[in-house]
Amino acid sequence: MKKLQIKQLIEKIEGEAELDFTFSEGKIEDVKINFGFYRGIEEILQGKDPRDALVITPRVCGICNHAHLIAAVRAIENGYENSGVKVELSSKAKDIREFTLACELIQNHVKWLYMTMLPQLEKYVNQESEENYAIKATYLSSIITKALSIFAGQWPHSSYAVPGGVTCDPTHLDVMQAQSLVKESITFFEQVMTGVSLDVYLSIDSVSSLHEIEGDFGKLLYLLGSNEMAEIGQSHDRFIVFGDSLLSRSGKSIVTTISNVESKYVEEALQEGTLAKAVTYKQKLYEVGPLARGMVAKTPIVKNLHKRYKDSLFTRIFARVHEVALLLNHSQRLLETLVLDEPSCVLDANIPLFEFEGTGVVEAARGSLIHRTTVSDGKISQYEIITPTQWNLSHGNQEEQGIAIEAMVGAASIEEATFIFRAFDVCSVCTTQ
Amino acid sequence: MSSQTRPKLLWLQSITCNGNTHSFLNHPDLFLILSHFELVHHPVLETAYTMEDLLQKKVSCDVLILEGSFQEEGFLKDGVEVSSLIQYYAGQAKHIITAGTCATFGGIFKQKDPAAISGFCFDLEERTMRYKTYASRLISLPGCPIHPKWLSYVLLMIANKRQIEIDTLHRPVELYGYTVHTGCTRNEYFEWKIDTKNFGLKEGCLFYEQGCQGPYTRGSCNKILWNDTSSKTRVGTPCFGCTEPNYPQESLFSTKTNMGIPAKMPLGIPRRAYLTLTGVVKSFKIKRFTERLLDYDK
Repeated sequence: MKKLQIKQLIEKIEGEAELDFTFSEGKIEDVKINFGFYRGIEEILQGKDPRDALVITPRVCGICNHAHLIAAVRAIENGYENSGVKVELSSKAKDIREFTLACELIQNHVKWLYMTMLPQLEKYVNQESEENYAIKATYLSSIITKALSIFAGQWPHSSYAVPGGVTCDPTHLDVMQAQSLVKESITFFEQVMTGVSLDVYLSIDSVSSLHEIEGDFGKLLYLLGSNEMAEIGQSHDRFIVFGDSLLSRSGKSIVTTISNVESKYVEEALQEGTLAKAVTYKQKLYEVGPLARGMVAKTPIVKNLHKRYKDSLFTRIFARVHEVALLLNHSQRLLETLVLDEPSCVLDANIPLFEFEGTGVVEAARGSLIHRTTVSDGKISQYEIITPTQWNLSHGNQEEQGIAIEAMVGAASIEEATFIFRAFDVCSVCTTQ
Repeated sequence: MSSQTRPKLLWLQSITCNGNTHSFLNHPDLFLILSHFELVHHPVLETAYTMEDLLQKKVSCDVLILEGSFQEEGFLKDGVEVSSLIQYYAGQAKHIITAGTCATFGGIFKQKDPAAISGFCFDLEERTMRYKTYASRLISLPGCPIHPKWLSYVLLMIANKRQIEIDTLHRPVELYGYTVHTGCTRNEYFEWKIDTKNFGLKEGCLFYEQGCQGPYTRGSCNKILWNDTSSKTRVGTPCFGCTEPNYPQESLFSTKTNMGIPAKMPLGIPRRAYLTLTGVVKSFKIKRFTERLLDYDK
């Protein structure tokens, strides 16, 4: 049978992507993912003061800028440590960084749920509602980024994390304000997103009790289930997490085995036909992101969904929204136990170090984000940024198709495939930088 | 108001990180502001027209918001030069808003290829060859990113058919007539020339050592707070001058000095006036500024 090629522009995904589909016998056999434009952030950084990366790299991405800041500061701190300067952050600085990062992830996941998943799914299954989902998304995202900015000054594009800690020196009044904003976010999660209390939600650990979830998330799960979408979108079933975080420790998950990982085995390679570089770990492709974190952390409900539906669209979507609950819960605890009388920053503003090399890893909304900085003569000589979407959206290698491509292969229509694609929470600007 | 009479609003992206888009989504009155317009296309919000409609020039617009740096050749969407798209829609718009430092002056992404990449009507502070064509309709909103309320100010002024007063770089004076220093909670330390001892402290001014550009950067960050809550300097981060034409400068966390005096003076202050005042205040030792703020009188 003749093969059919169709090109499709995908928009409203933090930029745009072009997908070239190849159909064979009515099913998708291959997809080429092309991202438009290389902005050259890594090159722009060359010759600059190492700390300028704290200002420049957040501008890789308008939606996950804070994760870039944390990766950048960790890269410098790791570089200092490699050169013999001890960097022992106060628990206050660590907790504040964890909190602000959690806020950004919540913001991201909620926008994706309401501004991408729900409207796209309704369109796909022909059950469009009159709901203004964006108003819900922006209500929650503006509240939680307000909590972030109490410590970080602003969102997007804060540079409040500096080598040795954070620049803020909060009071109890600040913490109280943040607590009330987190509380407001939890109320939204309970009353609008899921229809159950956070405690009840967090106790859900089996597939058979998923029906307890109501609200907008319940609606999404129902639409997926009732349209036979629970098992589509499966990929290579291999997962990797590089950053230790509240959500997961680092590690990789293959079948039922979890093992350790080291970021030095991560390799980047140029790909033909796109400006995005492909990433592998010991020459193998892995999925990163909330599903990977859920698998490595062995989150009960994620593991149980995976047992039933493998690494399908359904499991992937669930794992991402589920993180909102985990992050809200963690954020609440972080603020409750935050100790204010420790130093915010343990290093001097000016460390006379002119040669170092460091790697910073963080779990961003879409998965592991890695920054590598090489400094000589006090200036950045090389900077490398490996983003989560480079893992999930690469073309693949000789042996296998890329993670998202594999998930789309076998789909019967472009609409089905693009929905599977969007479920990866695609970010075009991060992929090409 | 019916959609027939509402001005058509188009948000068009060029070379960008989407930071201005996400900043504006934080506006507490987002949908109220948008209700004055017919949103024909937007990078993330649902709209009646698609990107393909936009690329095929099937859309018309009255108010154009530009986000991202400008490049004449080589930045394409689906095979279409974005520069031609921008000029097509700018040609018919009654108001052109360059949202962010990239669209206004070139910004960070200009540094990748300084000869080819610039703002739409300005290249740093210089007027581009396009300036003349669009100047009468141009509003500059520099900032990396823009503050959501700066944009809503412009949109509501347009919706209410009010004249927006602008300066020579087309920035609204009601927003950029201030400096970032205005309203900074560390102003007392600035007045008495007390620098901060390190990052992470409530005390001290960041202008003398830590690179703060607040005193000579235009913007109302400490008057119209970020996320309705705070600002960089309020959380102890220096201002990096992100609204200025020459942003970003080098070595953003340290102050360039001449003989121990900041190389760049606060906006409009003659060096001699600054030095005279500094000489006077430095001749006093103020006990309250030698200790932790909350420990005084304890």
